[in-house]
Amino acid sequence: MVVTQLSTRPRQGEDNSTPTSGEARIRIRDVTLSYGSLQIIGGISLDIAPGETISVIGPSGCGKTTLLRMLAGLARPTSGSVELDGSVLGGPNRSIAIVFQDYGKALLPWRTAAGNVSLALEARGCPGAERPAIIRELLEKIGLGRHADKYPAEMSGGMQQRLQIARCLAQEPKVLLMDEPFGALDAMTRQALQDEVLGLVATTGATMVFVTHDLEEAIYLGDRIICLQPNPGRVGRVVDVRLARPRDQLLTREDHEFLRLRRELYDLIKDDHQ
Amino acid sequence: MKHFSLRKLLLGCGALALFILAWKLVTDAKLVSPIFFPGPERTYAALVKGLSGGAMLSQTLETVQRMLLGWLLASFVGVFLGALIGVSRRARAFIAPTLELLRPLPASAMIPIAIAFLGFSDNMVLVVIAFGALWPMLLATIHGFAAMEPRLYEVSAVLGLSRAQVIWKLALPSAMPMILASLRLGLTISLILAVVGEMLASRQGLGQSILAASRSFRSPDLFAGIVILGAIGLVGSRLLSFAERRLLRWQAVNR
Ligand SMILES: Nc1ncnc2c1ncn2[C@@H]1O[C@H](COP(=O)(O)OP(=O)(O)OP(=O)(O)O)[C@@H](O)[C@H]1O
Ligand SMILES: [Mg+2]
Repeated sequence: MVVTQLSTRPRQGEDNSTPTSGEARIRIRDVTLSYGSLQIIGGISLDIAPGETISVIGPSGCGKTTLLRMLAGLARPTSGSVELDGSVLGGPNRSIAIVFQDYGKALLPWRTAAGNVSLALEARGCPGAERPAIIRELLEKIGLGRHADKYPAEMSGGMQQRLQIARCLAQEPKVLLMDEPFGALDAMTRQALQDEVLGLVATTGATMVFVTHDLEEAIYLGDRIICLQPNPGRVGRVVDVRLARPRDQLLTREDHEFLRLRRELYDLIKDDHQ
Repeated sequence: MKHFSLRKLLLGCGALALFILAWKLVTDAKLVSPIFFPGPERTYAALVKGLSGGAMLSQTLETVQRMLLGWLLASFVGVFLGALIGVSRRARAFIAPTLELLRPLPASAMIPIAIAFLGFSDNMVLVVIAFGALWPMLLATIHGFAAMEPRLYEVSAVLGLSRAQVIWKLALPSAMPMILASLRLGLTISLILAVVGEMLASRQGLGQSILAASRSFRSPDLFAGIVILGAIGLVGSRLLSFAERRLLRWQAVNR
């Protein structure tokens, strides 16, 4: 799963707080969101370039999931707007896939792994004759090749989460939103999935927004890291990650830059929690 | 697992044998006059004679056909209407109170109305069966749709499923456990109403023949009819349980 495709990466190093590029895949403009009188998101602006991977970190309850739901079109901003390729997002859109945090609820328990992936193909009108081959390829890619006929209840948490990712890929999305997708996995599975996802994102050129609690995961995956601050949720810091791609579980994590970033983020988060 | 179900079968047969034995003891001791209450042997003899002689067999088929027709009608209408109402939150809020008002009405209350409109006809009986058996299916479908995991609605929106696809591929399968249970209940109600309808409207069938047997003090025939009714109910419910297990295989692995 080592795929070299640096060309799809955006250039790094410019002033990233006020991006000027006119070709953002996603543009978040002064977005706020309130439930009643309670403001959850308090003015977030951000441009995300095509093919870029953004990691989002922040303390529990700061609005990470809420932000992701707005990007998916599942929640409507109270003010401001989210744009996809220059047009305002009015609701859910087939080219934006989201991997939900609660994978158990997002799968159809009465369909097998293959059937769950098939749902995305049926939705976009893929002809029946073409589906089996696509399904097999996707399941193979995500390491579920031999479990195509299993029902979700017969799969482990990690397998279910992989299945959800496979279904999102079947959507052929331009944007992949991930909400702490590897939260409940052991370290080894987690690292394997991180590499799988990075490889898939690189081959498809998809743009990814990845929410995580894990600082190292945020650094390992991201081109930029957005640190959200709570009450109401807003962007505290944006940190550039200047680490070579493709990344490597051992080499990247031993890199001086990786260790420096980890220190920097740790200090930042510590301040937020005081 | 096979072993376990075999044991359950044996236990069931044992209980049945015990029941027949008790029946025999009560009738042999003449606790109740044999004119009203025949023993198992006389009932069995009447059963064999009725089924081989022809009259009871054709009546049984008549009743089974009536029950199945009414049940199918109720199932299609119930699930279809339930889906229409259940898929929209507004329709649910709008119609649910009316349904709650109508539902507790006993189906027999419908009979005079049905007679007034349709007279003493086969269609009248059919309408009564369908109306009475409709409720479990209708309400189970509505509730099944309402109880669908909200996350799945979001999944369908993100995938861009059409409304028809949401009903057909998400809501119906997710409501299927409730719907299947209600189909079983509906079948029982259909059988009861088929018999009652036949008695009231004097239509060909087991209901009428049981009533006739009772009026002319042919108690073995009466009891033979009751035994057949019990058997119809048992077979129907068994067949549906079997279908249920096949269709809900995905659920069995959950446990
Ligand atoms: N439907 C809702 N109604 C009212 N408040 C809500 C609703 N959904 C979320 N909130 C509030 O919005 C805030 C942000 O929630 P959100 O789920 O986005 O946090 P999060 O950053 O994803 O947290 P975690 O890391 O624990 O998943 C929380 O304080 C939560 O209580
Ligand atoms: Mg969250």
